[in-house]
Amino acid sequence: MRRHPLLWKLALLQISFCLLLTWIIWTWGLSAERSTYFLDQADQLYLARYAQQAEDVWHNEGSVGVERFRQQLSRDENTWVAVIGPHLESLGTTPLTALEASHLTFMRMLHWPMSRRLQDELPFVSIEFPDAPQQGRLVMQLPERLLPGGLTPWTHVLSHGVVPTLLAALLGLLIYRNLVVPLNRLRDRADSLRADDLDSEGPGVPLMGRRDELGELAGAFEHMANRLRQSLNQQRLLLRTLSHELRTPLARLRIAHDSQLPPEQLRERLDREIGDMQRLLEDTLDLAWLDTERPQLPTEPVLMLSIWEALCEDACFESGWPAQRLIGLVDIDCLLQVHLDSVAQALENLLRNAIRFSPPQGKITLTGWREDEHWHLCLQDEGPGVAERDLERIFVPYQRLDNSTEGFGLGLAIARRAVELQGGRLWASNGSPGLIMHMTLPAAAAG
Amino acid sequence: MTPTLLLVEDDARLRNDLDQHFQKRGFSVTACPCGTQGLAAIRAGHFDLVLLDIMLPGMDGLSLLEALRDIEDTPVMLMSALGAEQDRIIGFTRGADDYLPKPFSLAELDARANALLRRMARTHTPKSVREDGRVQFDDELQDVIHAGQRAGLTGSEYRLLITLREHAGEALSKPLLYQNVLHRIYTRLDRGLDVHVCNLRRKLTAIGVQHLQIQAVRGQGYILIESDQS
Repeated sequence: MRRHPLLWKLALLQISFCLLLTWIIWTWGLSAERSTYFLDQADQLYLARYAQQAEDVWHNEGSVGVERFRQQLSRDENTWVAVIGPHLESLGTTPLTALEASHLTFMRMLHWPMSRRLQDELPFVSIEFPDAPQQGRLVMQLPERLLPGGLTPWTHVLSHGVVPTLLAALLGLLIYRNLVVPLNRLRDRADSLRADDLDSEGPGVPLMGRRDELGELAGAFEHMANRLRQSLNQQRLLLRTLSHELRTPLARLRIAHDSQLPPEQLRERLDREIGDMQRLLEDTLDLAWLDTERPQLPTEPVLMLSIWEALCEDACFESGWPAQRLIGLVDIDCLLQVHLDSVAQALENLLRNAIRFSPPQGKITLTGWREDEHWHLCLQDEGPGVAERDLERIFVPYQRLDNSTEGFGLGLAIARRAVELQGGRLWASNGSPGLIMHMTLPAAAAG
Repeated sequence: MTPTLLLVEDDARLRNDLDQHFQKRGFSVTACPCGTQGLAAIRAGHFDLVLLDIMLPGMDGLSLLEALRDIEDTPVMLMSALGAEQDRIIGFTRGADDYLPKPFSLAELDARANALLRRMARTHTPKSVREDGRVQFDDELQDVIHAGQRAGLTGSEYRLLITLREHAGEALSKPLLYQNVLHRIYTRLDRGLDVHVCNLRRKLTAIGVQHLQIQAVRGQGYILIESDQS
């Protein structure tokens, strides 16, 4: 099943954002709003002073004085005022009416929030006598001009508009950093590819460390760039090799044509040069076909021994070797599930190479053993072998080692492609003496 | 009787060379530069062999081959420079009797043309009797029996042995053997026949048959030698 790390990452980001927004509106927004419903310090002092005056009047002049103070204050502030004792009775000369008494059921202290919420009535403020709070208090309906204004529209815009906008912008920035910045890096890489800068290890590479979809994308992209690089290199090499390998026989032909060779010799030369050019062309096409088409080859159970015998017969014809110098040590239980022609072609190329580099009277041995679902086959010659550093290079198309004078450097490349198409592997190691070609090929089901 | 040959090839130089070569060999050659003319020639008369290029201007070789198959059963050899991608070519060559990738040598062309002509001639001759004092041939089971032992041959291996034995002492070309035994066209990298020969040799040796020896003939094909030793 496919994992979706990026989905989870984005979901997590969005969820945290939503929770954060809700939390801010609930706590910070609400408390900001509530904080604007309190009387400021100056107003509280201003009202407290009235309570002080009321207390002074009560102590010095009694009920009559209180009554006068009450009416005076009521006129000055244009509001309802009462001075009441500890049992909520009026300290003035006029007792409280029922309506007035009802005002005393919900009084607020000075440091409580004030608002007009209930029945659109201004709140009633109770201010205890500052010196002897147990003796009484001043109660007055808050004068209109002292009522706190609550949130201003600007504060509303700030708390419910600007802050969420900033948060959303932050979220956008995070998503951008997570998604678009890597994509931009990939685009830069693509641009550098477009500019034929195939060789630089671009900024796409660190992106491959990511373990999400973008990392996969970067991986696929690097793979593509590698393929491009490979095929471009191969194309350059092909062009160089073809121009060299075709021009050389053509030059020889042209000279043979111009010189006064006897017809018999000329025919022989023609035959040889044409053969060379044809072989180069066929090998090149074979390799290109295996490489670019990656054909699905039908497989069948094949006896390795039979392939070996058929190849030896041809090899002996070609090289003039006696059959005794080609030793096949595989048994008839070595049954492979392969595409016959490809495997035969691969083994034939290996055998040709082995014969070419064998010393006089050298022997070539084929051995093989079963390894789980595969057969491991080894073709060993008694030639000079290959320097350790060149063991991989010999499989690169058109690469010829310095001591190799014949061929085009395609045989081993074709062999490797052919073996890999069967799900097998082909590699070389040095024996003592000679070179060992290792080949693994899928075994056929027993029966 | 002069064998008749229809040659359809658009390259003028190659067409002239092939024309002259087959005339020298005693063929009566009709050469056409394009598919349309080729089809007209087929409708006009009978041919023993058709040599057909695949890439032709106008009607291409494969369409011509299809049209030809509706008319008669003349052996057709396709020629093509399409490339060595044998498996794809085989897909194209249904209905053809042989396929010759360019470039080819005249010797190769002759060998294959002879194989085709001979195959057509032989379809009319009766099968020779399969008797051997030492080995029993079982057509029913497609197997041979020696000293009471079965070789356990496959159908292809049996056909190969029969075909080689009918022409014992005569080298049979690979194209011919592919046609008759494996019923397919021989291409450059095909190793099927070689492997069948090796399998057949081993199975014959296993049941002690020593007087039938199958040998490879360089550049020609295979030959069956029947010796007197038992």
